Amino acid sequence: MHNVKPEMRIIYTVILLLFAVFLFLPLLVLLVRSFGSDQGFTFEHYVSMGSNREFLTAIGNSVKISGVTAAITTVLGFILAYSIHCTKIYRPVKGLLRTVIMVPMLLPTITYGFAIMYSFGNQGLITRLVGHNWFEIYGWNGLLIGYIIYTLPPVFLLMHNAFKYIDKKFIIVSKLMGDGTMRSFLNTIMRPLAGALGGAFVLSFILSFTDFGIPASVGGTYPVVATQLYQVMLGSIPDFDQGAAIAVIMLLPAVFGIWLLNYLEKWNFHYDKLSDIELPRQRVRDIAFGILSSVIVLGMLSVFVVMFIAPWLSSYPYDMAFTFKHVRDVFQSSDLTGVYRNSLWVALLTAVFGTLMAYGSALLNVRTSLKARSAVDMVSMITNTVPGMVLGISYLLFFNGSSLKGTFIIIVLCNIIHFFTTPYLMAKNSLSKMNPSWETTGELLGDSWFKTVYRVILPNSASTVIEMFSYYFINAMVTISGIIFLVSAQTSLVASKIKELQHFAKFNEIFVLSMLIFFTNLIIKLVCDAWQRRTAQR
Amino acid sequence: MLKLEHIRKQFEDKVVLDDINVEIGAGEIVSLLGPSGSGKTTLLNIILGLTRMDQGRIMFQGQDLSNMPMKKRGFNIVFQDYALFPNLNAYDNIVYGLRNKKGSVSQQEVQEYIDFLELQPHLNKRIGELSGGQKQRVALARTLVTKPRILLLDEPLSALDGVIKESIKQRIQSIAREFKLTTIIVTHDPEEALTLSDKILIIDQGQIAQFGTPQEIVHHPSNDFVKQFIIQQLHIKRQNIYNLFGEQYA
Repeated sequence: MHNVKPEMRIIYTVILLLFAVFLFLPLLVLLVRSFGSDQGFTFEHYVSMGSNREFLTAIGNSVKISGVTAAITTVLGFILAYSIHCTKIYRPVKGLLRTVIMVPMLLPTITYGFAIMYSFGNQGLITRLVGHNWFEIYGWNGLLIGYIIYTLPPVFLLMHNAFKYIDKKFIIVSKLMGDGTMRSFLNTIMRPLAGALGGAFVLSFILSFTDFGIPASVGGTYPVVATQLYQVMLGSIPDFDQGAAIAVIMLLPAVFGIWLLNYLEKWNFHYDKLSDIELPRQRVRDIAFGILSSVIVLGMLSVFVVMFIAPWLSSYPYDMAFTFKHVRDVFQSSDLTGVYRNSLWVALLTAVFGTLMAYGSALLNVRTSLKARSAVDMVSMITNTVPGMVLGISYLLFFNGSSLKGTFIIIVLCNIIHFFTTPYLMAKNSLSKMNPSWETTGELLGDSWFKTVYRVILPNSASTVIEMFSYYFINAMVTISGIIFLVSAQTSLVASKIKELQHFAKFNEIFVLSMLIFFTNLIIKLVCDAWQRRTAQR
Repeated sequence: MLKLEHIRKQFEDKVVLDDINVEIGAGEIVSLLGPSGSGKTTLLNIILGLTRMDQGRIMFQGQDLSNMPMKKRGFNIVFQDYALFPNLNAYDNIVYGLRNKKGSVSQQEVQEYIDFLELQPHLNKRIGELSGGQKQRVALARTLVTKPRILLLDEPLSALDGVIKESIKQRIQSIAREFKLTTIIVTHDPEEALTLSDKILIIDQGQIAQFGTPQEIVHHPSNDFVKQFIIQQLHIKRQNIYNLFGEQYA
């Protein structure tokens, strides 16, 4: 392994310091505050939660609805992944399914809620198409639909990856051995996927449990933990200590869930050698799964259709005349364009510095022999565990009174830490696959370490860097749970502005802003994908 | 002349090299031969300056290099997997180091190396498009243009197949002769070592089993290890060849 250089130590120290100040200390303060009072150490806040009927209901509700969401989403995700990997559906259809399923990821979750209202509400698009009201959307039903749409893409991705590691030859072997459909399915699909199925459930559960955008929009009078937390922190009588205690309570299932996720990983099969194999045609299966997965994806998309129609009509659903008025109004409002510009800047800065930090951490971990270099692995497990709202609150408590309060810097840093895990793992994966002798070779050819990184390592991981950038950008653009406690009047972002506009029932503005986010993200995604393909081809 | 004195290295509790003493003359090809885990690659990395030794001294042309960092020693290596940079084409790989040492090598000299290694037709190819032998020659060229004081080769033939192997072998020999370049090669193959080099350093469990010319080793093996693992293997190979071609070709 390459020798350790002083510049590596310096960078590593800086990275660890950043994590200390922007992850560990805030979380520590959060924990301390949850036990704090005028008289010193106390369990008071936890005790009062236990006697607060409303809060106990909220916890019960959160667990119940997250559990139901997770069960449904896991099944749906499985159907989609199975259709793509184990059936002979027409190939372009598979590609389309795989792409379209990602659409919700380009929008803030708070938008889902409003799209659901405009689709299934009394005058909603789908309600009118169907001719009658299906169900009451505020509360349980709206939340459930929102959570499913929100967690289906990541659950699908997890399942999709797990399917990649299943050796499909076993399906053929099982058939040749005379297994019936059921036994074959259980042995060659369900058993190897057991870990992934459990993982999908846990992932969907945690995401639903900790999301703020969806309950903020369609939660109605159905209290969940996230809305309780928001009310305690930013309601009429803010109580930070009580909020800290609730945040700790919110952290617990996440910690348990991540632990479970890692544990379930062991259940996954890892076939060492994978080979592509032709699957036998089975008409009934293919048609059934083709229809089923199309229905799932189309159903998901149909909820968003209204969002792209309503703002172009003069007063949906009463006056259906086409107009540019709403869109023009938004673009003429310096307030709203300013908010959009803020979001753009925050996303851009998050993407640039986040990518730098995640790449740097991975580089030092995988390609140097620094002592304690794997500390970042632990950090990345923690950032994976801490929900956005909890991180936001701990920042609010820790930086309250500091000059960072109400700045863009704190929002950007919160995003970088909040979304650190995935880009970090992307970089680690790509860097560890590269030839370990490049740095030594570069040095022997007269390079400094920086120079080799710039001339060799970076160009050979360009594709991954672009992917990391796009991940950071899109997530920074849509997140609301992470930043809702950190924005000020000057640093308002689109996602938090939508929350504000909700009070004034300005839904056209909400949808125009959502479209702006959507198309910005879409452009970034398309450009990055195209660019990535180009670098990968070389 | 390169002199290794009392070199010792241990990882944790395991002694990898113990009291290694060797003198290598200028322009000699020397193979470090031993089974895997014998410590030969560690010794190569110590000479290169990549790995620190625990005890001992490295002298080169009367200068003590023991504490000199890798970059300043002026040695260079071709790794077993070549470590070519896939984002650059063959030519850009060859001249990679020249950007850092402007003016040290003329365009004409670079061209001489390219011609010598017969790389002209492949200069614009991407690394992925080169065959194993071509990659090996590009890596050699990239190393040679930096004019190393000693050339180190880590298992230079192990990734190559039959015929290419023999031609690269000749190429290495002619490089050493043409440029009067001291060359140190790590290998686990006795046949390769004995047919390629002027001298062979046989290492067994971190200690020198024998250091000598191919003739000395074949005719006067110094101990059982050399007999069992080196000579015996060559006998079997010889027997196989005889069986194929018949005794009259002996």
